[in-house]
Amino acid sequence: MSERSRLATAVLFGLCCLWLFLTLFPLYWTLVTSLKTPPAVNRGPTYIPFVDFDPTIQPYVDALTGQRGDFYKPFINSTMVGLSATFLSVLLGAMAAYALVRFQFRVRLGAGIAFTAIGIGGFLALTAWGGWSEVYALGLSLIVALTVSIWLNGKKLPGPILGNTDVVFWFLSQRMFPPIVTAFALYLLYSELGREGLRALDTYGGLVMCYTAFSLPIVVWLMRDFFQALPVEIEEAALVDNVPRLRIFFQIVVPMALPGLGATALITLGFVWNEFLFALLLTTSEWQTLPIFLSGQNSYRGDEWWAISVAAIIAIAPMMAMAFILARLLRGGLTLGGIR
Amino acid sequence: MKKLLMAGAAAGAVSMAFAGPAAAQCEPDYSGTTISVGSQTGPFIALAVQMAGEKWAEKTCGEVEVVEFPFGELYPKYLTAMVENQASFDVITFAPAWTPDFAPYLSVMPEEIRQTEEWEDIHEVYRDRLMIWGGEHKSQTIDGDLHTLSYRTDLFEDPEEQAAFEEQYGYPLAPPEVWSQYYDIAEFFTRPDENLWGTSEAFRRGGQQFWFFFTHAASYTNHPDNPGAMFFDPETMDAQVNNPGWVRALEDYIQSVEYTPPGSLNYTSGDIRTAFAGGQVAMNFDWGDTGVIAADPEQSEVAGNVGSAMTPGSSEIYNHATGEWDSFDETVRSPFMAFGGWQAAVPQASENIEAAWNFVEYLSNPENSMQAAITGGSGVNPYRYSHFENVDQWLDIFSEEEAQMYLDAQLGSLNAPNVALDMRLPGYFSYTEVLEIELSKALAGDVEPQEALDTIAEEWNALTDDFGREDQLAAYRASMGLPPLE
Amino acid sequence: MRDPIKYVFIWPAFLVVLLVSLFPLIYSLSVSFQNLRLVPPRPARFIGLENYADLLTQPRFWDTVGTTLTIVIVSVAIQYVIGFAIALALHAKVPGERLFRVTFLLPMLMAPIAVALVWRMLFHSTVGPINQFMGLFGLTNVPFLTDSTWAVGSIIVVEIWQWTPFVILLMLAGLQTLPQEIYEAARLENASAWQQFWGITFPMLLPISIAVVFIRMIECFKLIDTVFVLTGGGPGTSTETLTLFAYQEGFKKFNLGYTSALSFLFLLVILIFGVIYLAVLRPMVEKRI
Repeated sequence: MSERSRLATAVLFGLCCLWLFLTLFPLYWTLVTSLKTPPAVNRGPTYIPFVDFDPTIQPYVDALTGQRGDFYKPFINSTMVGLSATFLSVLLGAMAAYALVRFQFRVRLGAGIAFTAIGIGGFLALTAWGGWSEVYALGLSLIVALTVSIWLNGKKLPGPILGNTDVVFWFLSQRMFPPIVTAFALYLLYSELGREGLRALDTYGGLVMCYTAFSLPIVVWLMRDFFQALPVEIEEAALVDNVPRLRIFFQIVVPMALPGLGATALITLGFVWNEFLFALLLTTSEWQTLPIFLSGQNSYRGDEWWAISVAAIIAIAPMMAMAFILARLLRGGLTLGGIR
Repeated sequence: MKKLLMAGAAAGAVSMAFAGPAAAQCEPDYSGTTISVGSQTGPFIALAVQMAGEKWAEKTCGEVEVVEFPFGELYPKYLTAMVENQASFDVITFAPAWTPDFAPYLSVMPEEIRQTEEWEDIHEVYRDRLMIWGGEHKSQTIDGDLHTLSYRTDLFEDPEEQAAFEEQYGYPLAPPEVWSQYYDIAEFFTRPDENLWGTSEAFRRGGQQFWFFFTHAASYTNHPDNPGAMFFDPETMDAQVNNPGWVRALEDYIQSVEYTPPGSLNYTSGDIRTAFAGGQVAMNFDWGDTGVIAADPEQSEVAGNVGSAMTPGSSEIYNHATGEWDSFDETVRSPFMAFGGWQAAVPQASENIEAAWNFVEYLSNPENSMQAAITGGSGVNPYRYSHFENVDQWLDIFSEEEAQMYLDAQLGSLNAPNVALDMRLPGYFSYTEVLEIELSKALAGDVEPQEALDTIAEEWNALTDDFGREDQLAAYRASMGLPPLE
Repeated sequence: MRDPIKYVFIWPAFLVVLLVSLFPLIYSLSVSFQNLRLVPPRPARFIGLENYADLLTQPRFWDTVGTTLTIVIVSVAIQYVIGFAIALALHAKVPGERLFRVTFLLPMLMAPIAVALVWRMLFHSTVGPINQFMGLFGLTNVPFLTDSTWAVGSIIVVEIWQWTPFVILLMLAGLQTLPQEIYEAARLENASAWQQFWGITFPMLLPISIAVVFIRMIECFKLIDTVFVLTGGGPGTSTETLTLFAYQEGFKKFNLGYTSALSFLFLLVILIFGVIYLAVLRPMVEKRI
């Protein structure tokens, strides 16, 4: 090793150490603050327990006994919604991704355009002139638009034909939408549903539906890479034996892709667990999730940092555990496939 | 541990209830009913609801569940649930200013509640003005709110300070009568080297800032001859917020920044209480909470030295009808009913309307409300005559002298002939948003006071037109207790 | 091709996305042409493009666009530089590389709300550690969150802290795909590490870089939670992002038509920004293909 490259390594090592410090310090600070008494916090910054302040576990006791609001309910809500939405989106997303890897799809652009036109036009016409309520108008125009475009897709329309990559892109483009656009639209639709008697706002179903839909693009994208990496021979052998596709998928493909499924599920769970905006708009009292609960910690009480730290730790800890599991699963080369 | 014991006791009570005849204890019997109460994140108000909730549960075998939101999220959550006709809340606790927006979705208070002696005990400013909308009683006051002044008696009564002050300003040191005295005193006590500042007020956007500004403004604009003309002209609904009285108030409000601790531009009303209780400031004005918190030795460095008085007034008030400043022989006090006190109401969508009103009545009955009012951090301030009369009860937290001053300031403000009511209007948040933004800009020195207020007035007029001038005018007159226009 | 089973696989996912994320958009598009408010309740009125025109002439809208763009561009640029440098370090197998790898991921996995709360603590003007640190340089009581300029800077810092890991993760993955032979050849020609970086590593990683920066920018445009907790959009409106602005209009004032229009304009801003970004960088993208 030359003198210069040793120097370069030293610089890079220094950079890593600095960044390590910057990454860990806020976490460390939260941890020590959660062990402080109110006067210890207000006296100014102190850093090391037993040395410059006397630690206490009172903030944790307060949190767990419900002195600082009910932690358990949002925690359970977040867990239930997170797990359900993850399960659903991984299941549906993996199926779609598999289809996109193993089959050819051809969508005529004309059919897509027809779908959009009928969907929007039909809705506007029904509400403006037909006097229909929004929900029914939306439902009807969706069904009509879908039927027409499927029928059109079978016809020999002029214009370009879209293939599998375009379908993937269509899924992914959902992620590019600013979420406030869809979240607000969804809020309007859900409240309209509520007026029709089907309650969707602040319900388990409403939240799970929403998170499933918004996790699907990522799942499809990630899972496609995993499936592409799988050898096709085993499936072909099974096909020769006339095993139905669904059984092939669930009994052969899924077990083989398990590490990938696990990683994808963890990423999705993380996304749902941390998500703020949708929960803010779509929940009121019953299904408040953890981030919403957290955001309430900094308001009227003034700044009770010891309690806020405990709250933050409760929200962070499950994700920390996940990080280490994820780090193991990621060795399987997920990140490499993920970019392509 | 206490929590555990209580849980144990509750479990015992439950098992007894199941044992049979003991169930007769439930009066009235609401076993199996859970009342869901919406509240802002505790302890303010939520604590009071919880305290009453536990007792109510014991009495009626029902249950009370408190759902908490940060103050800023309260309004949208309530409104969404009610517009949807969702039974998410059986009881909501909210600001009177939201009543106009909520009223169409609220149930009317049962007649029986209004036939009791306890009803007569509520101060009429609340009972006959703030609890009524559109001629119907739709909410119950559960907290009294108005701004009063708190000051440190150890400083104000120190002979050395008194002498020094008199020498410097030419009149004796005492709680300020008018705003100019307030600023003299604030200047006098601003001593950064001693870690002492003159006063503290809330300045943060979203930190209940504008109520402090309104208190300044009430003194200059709530003209005794033109009742209800502080915010809008009650004949035409033209915004008054940029008239000379308001400009002067804003100049005052901005001047306050000089005499407040560093970083105070980020102060919410919660922070000014801690500043006072922490002995950082010589005085402040606030809801009744400062007094109660500052008197509590566990939370306060100035316990035992808490003086209370009405907020300063003015001998000059701007008359919007003539466009001139009118002078008065005596100082006119215009104590401001800032916020107007938390209220509780029962949405029509609730599935337990009867039980919910029963709980609201229980929560606000003299005994429970008294208990809440003298609990520091409950956020509940006196609103019943019995609160003011039972001085003994207050001795748990105040010294006798402190208690008397505190109650006199509160009751004196309520009874003041020129008491100023807070603004209540449909579309409330649209009005206050522009107000908060422009106030922040003016406080930061980005715009001149007149310019800021002109922007607000322009926007307010536009909003009024947008919402329908006639409707807004009718609503405004109703909220100010004026008869409908012919 | 003629395998109908493929529809069983793809339709459920397709329908869910269509139903939940695309169809509401049609509804909100139609609302954006109306004057529709929830409070005070008034009958909806069709007003054409008035909501849009209103917004486009409102300085607050443009301020918000400006703030959002500032945060996006500055924070993503810094994330990219730091992230790339650290990825290079990890790729060069600095001592302790394994520990770094796992730890560096942490911020990215935390709820932004929690992250913002933690940083609010750190930024505290009197009892925060950063205040004490700045005190060493004679700067005390810096108004990190209450001064317009500082507040934007603080938000950028938090964004960098949380999302640099994402850049590290992907750039590291990219580095691992580079063929070793080129470097060996370069070393034979006595190219310095510096020359190797600019001559080989950087150009070869350009396509990935473009993608990473693009993803980060799109994500950063959505920013609300951090701002919500750190400053609430203040002081004044100086840190208000587009999403927060829309939230205030929609959920404080319940001005539904206006908010819908705003969200579509927001979509437009992203589209324009994305198109410009890709157009400028297209030559490089095409080279990759």
